[in-house]
Amino acid sequence: MTKYNPVTPEIARRLAEICGAPYVIYRDAERLEPYSRDEIPGTHYRRMPDLVVRPSSTDEVAAIMRLANENLVPVTPRGAGSGLSGGAVPVFGGIVMAMDRFDKIVELDTANMTITVEPGVIANDINEYLKPHGLFYAGYPMSVEMCQIGGNVAENAGGGKAVKYGVTSRYVLGLETVLPDGRVLNLGGKLLKDVTGYNLIPLLVGSEGTLGVFTKIILKVIPRPRYQHDLLALFPTRGQAVAAVPAMITGTGITPVSIEFMDGEAFRQGCHWLNDPLPLGRSGAILLVSVDGNDPETLADQCEALGVYLKREGADEIYAADTKAESERIWKIRRSIPEAFSQLYPRQSGEDIVVPCASIPDVVAKCGELAAKYGVAIPCYGHAGDGNVHSRVCAPADWSDEKWDATLPNLLRELYAEVARLGGRISGEHGIGCKRKPYMESVVSPEFLDTLRAIKNALDPNGIMNPGKIF
Amino acid sequence: MNIAVLLKQVPDSQSVRLDPDTGTLIRDPADAVTNPLDLCALGAAVRLAESFPETDITAVSMGPAGAEQTLRHAMALGAARGILVCDRACAGSDTYVTAIVLAAALEKFGPFDLILTGLRASDGETGQVGPEIAARLGLSVVTGAEALRRLDSGEFEIDRVTETETETIRFSLPAVVCVAKGIGPAPLPTLTRKSWARREPVAAVTAADLGLRPDEVGLKASPTRVVKILHPRLARGGERISLTEPNALDRAAARLRALVEEGGPS
Repeated sequence: MTKYNPVTPEIARRLAEICGAPYVIYRDAERLEPYSRDEIPGTHYRRMPDLVVRPSSTDEVAAIMRLANENLVPVTPRGAGSGLSGGAVPVFGGIVMAMDRFDKIVELDTANMTITVEPGVIANDINEYLKPHGLFYAGYPMSVEMCQIGGNVAENAGGGKAVKYGVTSRYVLGLETVLPDGRVLNLGGKLLKDVTGYNLIPLLVGSEGTLGVFTKIILKVIPRPRYQHDLLALFPTRGQAVAAVPAMITGTGITPVSIEFMDGEAFRQGCHWLNDPLPLGRSGAILLVSVDGNDPETLADQCEALGVYLKREGADEIYAADTKAESERIWKIRRSIPEAFSQLYPRQSGEDIVVPCASIPDVVAKCGELAAKYGVAIPCYGHAGDGNVHSRVCAPADWSDEKWDATLPNLLRELYAEVARLGGRISGEHGIGCKRKPYMESVVSPEFLDTLRAIKNALDPNGIMNPGKIF
Repeated sequence: MNIAVLLKQVPDSQSVRLDPDTGTLIRDPADAVTNPLDLCALGAAVRLAESFPETDITAVSMGPAGAEQTLRHAMALGAARGILVCDRACAGSDTYVTAIVLAAALEKFGPFDLILTGLRASDGETGQVGPEIAARLGLSVVTGAEALRRLDSGEFEIDRVTETETETIRFSLPAVVCVAKGIGPAPLPTLTRKSWARREPVAAVTAADLGLRPDEVGLKASPTRVVKILHPRLARGGERISLTEPNALDRAAARLRALVEEGGPS
């Protein structure tokens, strides 16, 4: 039993009054279905909403929230649905609020180096817009061509450039947020410093849609580096590849823009998926290291300096890409890995563990141990520069759903226990959502959970805002 | 076997911008790339060199000083040396004169058994320079090669795809081969080769070094005259249905269904 009420025809009628009937989907299973899921493979984390509403103004969002709050109907905000934690899945049904009509770039303020956008703007479009101005927004989730900025902010998306540029939260200067009771809360602005009261922006960034709905976002933009050079270093073993990361950074004093780790199997599957004949030999692990800047000669020098340390730590071969075409070729392989595995294994769980960087070899070794113990494959790839490892637990094709469902929780508990022992967490950038919620208690303290609940109750006493997530 | 690969530096078609007033290209050094099909030609040369260790690859280009980057890139990918024909007198050369200049360079630095280049350059799109060089040097030429094989007999074969079939053409060296995309990508350069190629001198030669008089090269010597530049006009505007409009998917589906029933757009 839940305490929530379903969407009645009367509520549907009032929502149509608020947004216009064309922007309400109700009693139409075929059109509701795409809003029942995100990008988690498989069918486990799916739930049909009662209704989908697509507002286009802050006033409409506020009116929807007031109506839902009065009637105890849950509301799940949704961006592009490219999430990997079930954050946009309406686990208690109710209303899915799709933000795709909030798709306007409101203002570029070059004097203050900020851009004000609505949450439904595609992350990539922000950078396409900024390019002619010589500026860029440094948030870079791997699903950059489809994800919406509102979803990035809600999940505090990370991605491939976090080593140098940090994650989404570093760039959010202001937020207009509709609270669960329909009040509109404006935070921050075009300010780089602001200690006027509690700093609530970092609380809302990464709150996974459980505290409010963003309707406007002010982002910091920075000068666009004109060149990027990439190194692809092939190592015999995972341990050597990971050990090379701190050696390379401390040895050269250079902060790369990205340091991606891929075990040999993951990279080979990416190449195979793209039909790319890149010779990899018998590499056990691969590092993709990128530097960016405005002078190609400086970048070439940096690549040579980094290369010295990569070789010293055991790299058999290092490829160097300094053209856009070569860079795109390498990054395309990296970005294709999840898709390549999705086609290979019908049952899999994409993990998002994060550990102190020096512990990556330990957690990768643990994945190898668990793979052998449970008879599954666990290829690992991810962001070696920030300790965020995407282990992908893949069941053999002949496993039944029952066997998978019985095995996975045990495997994950063992993996997460090791992650916690190493001082890590179970999600670095994808979020907890409903997918990792059952494991929260085992990896964080009761005091932490109590504090989260106290904040949630203060802002959303009826618990209607994206319920069933995080804790 | 001595192979020459001809490469041209072109504006990146992904980021090319036109001056809205004059209609001319805005050239930015950051947006200069090597013609992608020329890189495919280099890739084919490198693969031959891997199979036949006695192979020596020379990269040749004609262009401004900045085109040296294209040659260094080729050297990083496997060419033993780079030769740049760089001369203000050559500016404005059309394909005919370009072929005269490059043929002279190939004669001076050759002889070459095999001359490889891209089927066409992404900026000019003429596809003329390779065959013109062959004519100039009195060599066989095959164009549109999607595969290149050396037979045990020492002869070579290429496959080329036409609209209806795949042709296999057998030929002896010396020859000029213009490759198409299907021949495969260039390899990725290694850091070691890249570092070497950064520092290795690239030979720069002028038209005079090649025995050509100033009145034989450049715009004046070029028979091609650009009379007028026209911008293509989009003949079909298409119909845009935005997903943010009401019932957008239903309307799009209905339009598609109607088109299929009509037998497609005329």
